[in-house]
Amino acid sequence: MIRLSPKLSQKFSYLILFLATTLAITPVIVIIFIIVKNGMSVINWEFLASMPKNGMRDGGVLPAIVGTFVIVTCTIILTLPTGLCAAIYLNEYARDNIFARVIKLGILNLAGVPSVVYGLFGFGIFVMFLKLGVSIIAGALTLSIMELPVIITTSRNALNSVPYSFREASWALGVSRWQTIRHIVLPNALPGIMTGAVLSIARISGETAPILFTAAAFYVPHLPHSIFDQVMTLPYHLYIISTQIPNMPNNIIFGTALILLVMVLAISFVAIFVRIYFRKHRKW
Amino acid sequence: MVDKIKVENLSCYYNKKCVLESLSINVIQNEILSIIGPSNSGKTTFLRTLNRMNDLDSIHSRKGEVYLDNNSIFDMDMEDLRRRIGMLFAMPTPLPMSIYENIVYAPKRLGLISKKPEQDALVVRALKDASLWNEVKDRLKSSAMEMSGGQQQRLCIARILAINPEVILFDEPCSGLDPISTAKIEESMIELKRKYTMVLVTNNVKQASRVSDRTAFFLMGKIIEIDTTDKMFVSPKERQTEDYITGRFG
Repeated sequence: MIRLSPKLSQKFSYLILFLATTLAITPVIVIIFIIVKNGMSVINWEFLASMPKNGMRDGGVLPAIVGTFVIVTCTIILTLPTGLCAAIYLNEYARDNIFARVIKLGILNLAGVPSVVYGLFGFGIFVMFLKLGVSIIAGALTLSIMELPVIITTSRNALNSVPYSFREASWALGVSRWQTIRHIVLPNALPGIMTGAVLSIARISGETAPILFTAAAFYVPHLPHSIFDQVMTLPYHLYIISTQIPNMPNNIIFGTALILLVMVLAISFVAIFVRIYFRKHRKW
Repeated sequence: MVDKIKVENLSCYYNKKCVLESLSINVIQNEILSIIGPSNSGKTTFLRTLNRMNDLDSIHSRKGEVYLDNNSIFDMDMEDLRRRIGMLFAMPTPLPMSIYENIVYAPKRLGLISKKPEQDALVVRALKDASLWNEVKDRLKSSAMEMSGGQQQRLCIARILAINPEVILFDEPCSGLDPISTAKIEESMIELKRKYTMVLVTNNVKQASRVSDRTAFFLMGKIIEIDTTDKMFVSPKERQTEDYITGRFG
């Protein structure tokens, strides 16, 4: 075995760690570069604000943008309150017994279920059994079930980050547990909860499998009228135009990908800014 | 001399391990009772039983009775009890809000006050009683987290005074403070004796001798001796007490 001098081994390790980091970030940069290079040419106001034309080979992606926006909004409206309440219960009220432990374990495992399984589950329950049909609401419910464990976990982490001594101080003054949660714990956990929620939004905007059978339509000639309509969404639209339509112009495919990418990145940046803002203004 | 708190045969367990063994003790109205003893003697457990802070701990269990004005505290509503028996922790625990809000927080939640002038008056009174008013009167709106440790601890006293309890429990309130801050807190305690009954758990034997009327010595979950502070420090009855007070062990 070769023994390196301490100085040399230090340099060597540094090099390996640095290369690993570079390797991790390279694909992201390459992806962004390729998409921007190929898709930038089609991005203009018309592409963003008009319906697809000529068998989707022309025109814009407005219905897909609107569809994604609507479905994500519905999902977060369903998920955030439920997930937050569950997180509060688990973190602040549940005693450490078998029941609570099984639930916590269940939540951790649910987060690892493949998204296509959620898609099939949503199709069976919401579309078929509850007869909601392929619709925004069925898709949003499916996405909600998928995102719930994530929201619960991030919210619990946020609640946990509020020092226990704050709670004790409040209880010792005769303030009830709920009032303590409402006035001390929640306001201080809010930044973490918000960051988690925004990152969830970013994640579900890019999901395809769960809405494949529950909400997404190949082509809808109008914007959605109600939550029982089918919709076009960006990820599904991207899938269709890149695999199902012959002679599809390449720049439209990359343009659509670019819009999806910008949307997800923009939402993630919002999360980062929320976190930076609150960290600066944190009171403890 | 009226008994404010009466403890009868109280035993406490953590995970079945006994930390307090059939303790009987009384706290007289308007006195300062000090509890001294080495670590692991059950002082803090005893204190946290009095306002039932232990109740939320799932591994904690107990036997015996504690009476506040002849009513069992275990039959009382937990929030009502804690309103009547305030507690000051070892480390200052200001809430992450302004000095002003720290004081009106609990009274507002408990519905004791509502109008702004009432709140203002309460803040002034509580801060004056905790001898903190002169230091902070110009910055009531600034964050309590920016105060010094000693000021934070006095703010916590002010916060307790604002809900007007009958008894105040002090859990080693000066363990993290410098001598000057300690002296200020001790001054406040003696000042407050006129209105409140106080129990002071302390690791600092000299502090017990300075402020308290009576002193109890705990060892390994048992009460070894309780007497007026003067007698205890001049002529303790038990050998163990004398050893502890004179610093031979502990």
